[in-house]
Amino acid sequence: MNDRDTFTPMIEDALQEISDIIDCLYVTPNACARNQLLNRLRKQTSHLSKLMQGFPSGENQISPQPPVTRVFTAAELSQYDGRNGNPAYVAVNGTVYDVTNIAAWGGATHFGIVAGTDATSQFAVCHAGQPVLGKLKVVGKMNG
Amino acid sequence: MNTTSGSCPNFSMRLETASMLFHKAVDAVQQGQIPKRNLIWLELTGCAGNIISLLNGEDPDFKGLISQMVHYLYDNSLMAAEGEFAMDQLFDALDSDYILAVEGAVSTKDEGLYTIIGRWKGRPITAYEVIQTFGERAAHVIAVGTCASDGGISAARPNPAQCVGIQNLLNRKVIKLPGCPCHPDWFMGTLAYTLLFGEPELDARQRPLMFYSTLIHDLCPRRPCFDRGVFATQLGEDTCMFKLGCRGPVTRVDCPIRKWNDRVNWPIGDDGPCIGCAMFGFPDKMEPFVRFDTT
Repeated sequence: MNDRDTFTPMIEDALQEISDIIDCLYVTPNACARNQLLNRLRKQTSHLSKLMQGFPSGENQISPQPPVTRVFTAAELSQYDGRNGNPAYVAVNGTVYDVTNIAAWGGATHFGIVAGTDATSQFAVCHAGQPVLGKLKVVGKMNG
Repeated sequence: MNTTSGSCPNFSMRLETASMLFHKAVDAVQQGQIPKRNLIWLELTGCAGNIISLLNGEDPDFKGLISQMVHYLYDNSLMAAEGEFAMDQLFDALDSDYILAVEGAVSTKDEGLYTIIGRWKGRPITAYEVIQTFGERAAHVIAVGTCASDGGISAARPNPAQCVGIQNLLNRKVIKLPGCPCHPDWFMGTLAYTLLFGEPELDARQRPLMFYSTLIHDLCPRRPCFDRGVFATQLGEDTCMFKLGCRGPVTRVDCPIRKWNDRVNWPIGDDGPCIGCAMFGFPDKMEPFVRFDTT
């Protein structure tokens, strides 16, 4: 059995699960249940992206990053401040990361840094050499 | 929701750490196995919150500390002597063997003139002077609370008196017990361990691992809510306060186990988010303490 035969049913299962969760989200008024569904959705999309990279799913693996297509201006990035329904994005070294549900970003802030900003200089001071960025989802690049 | 498991050995054993060490140290002193050493407590640029917290300790308590474990030589808030007589007691101990506990940051502007701890031989003694004089000669230095450990609230923006943590002025290792205030157990356990065995095992920021090895988030009773994405949207809800700006995921200390006020409760147990008071950078880098409308 080749890789394609192995992964195709798994990808189809994941897509079906995602579809079911989205259906549930439409009819779920309760915020608590909706959060649980969103959590499941996040796990499925993560699982799916691993499958699409041809890697088996593993608890401790760093999520493979999907191809980056979106380019942000500073003004566009500032809209993703993690408030009022907007996700929380932060830029480091020209790459934009999603920190919406990262535990260390409580209230979409982290050691005085707010989401929607470029934190390259602060990152260099506090996290240089630490493998923290590999755990974050890439959502785009900064222009220039 | 907010009760921790009494059957979990991780919880029950860690709860007993300070008490166990204290009683071992007292026994060792009484049996002559270790000397009853001198303790000097300096209150520098702060609010006296750490000595008040220490007085609130319960098994081990403050009475046991001063009567059974150490010779408590100087504490400006608690000693009977006043003025020049008190300062004489302090400086008489300078050439003895002593352990130095310090609460409060050090004001450095204008050579420390904004914090004067007393007058001795007719001249003002600044915090800036006393920490350098006593800090370098002490057998061990323990920074009690966030101000002494890292500047804390005393060094918060705009920091007009240019306060710093005591490490900035000492060319030696300082054991740091950040927390606003420091829990009585953290100090008593650390002191008892030091008397018995010498310096305890410390992390990279010189905090004793026996109290500061885990994140609040690691042991939070509301962690299952975080894992399931069940978040509070306003204060008073008994779910995970991550979206309100809880600093439990970046604050390394054992509040979820130990709690406060004789182990009655703690901030998260009363539906308020952790504000990271035991984390370096508090308060400036832990703000905002609460934030609404987070996605």
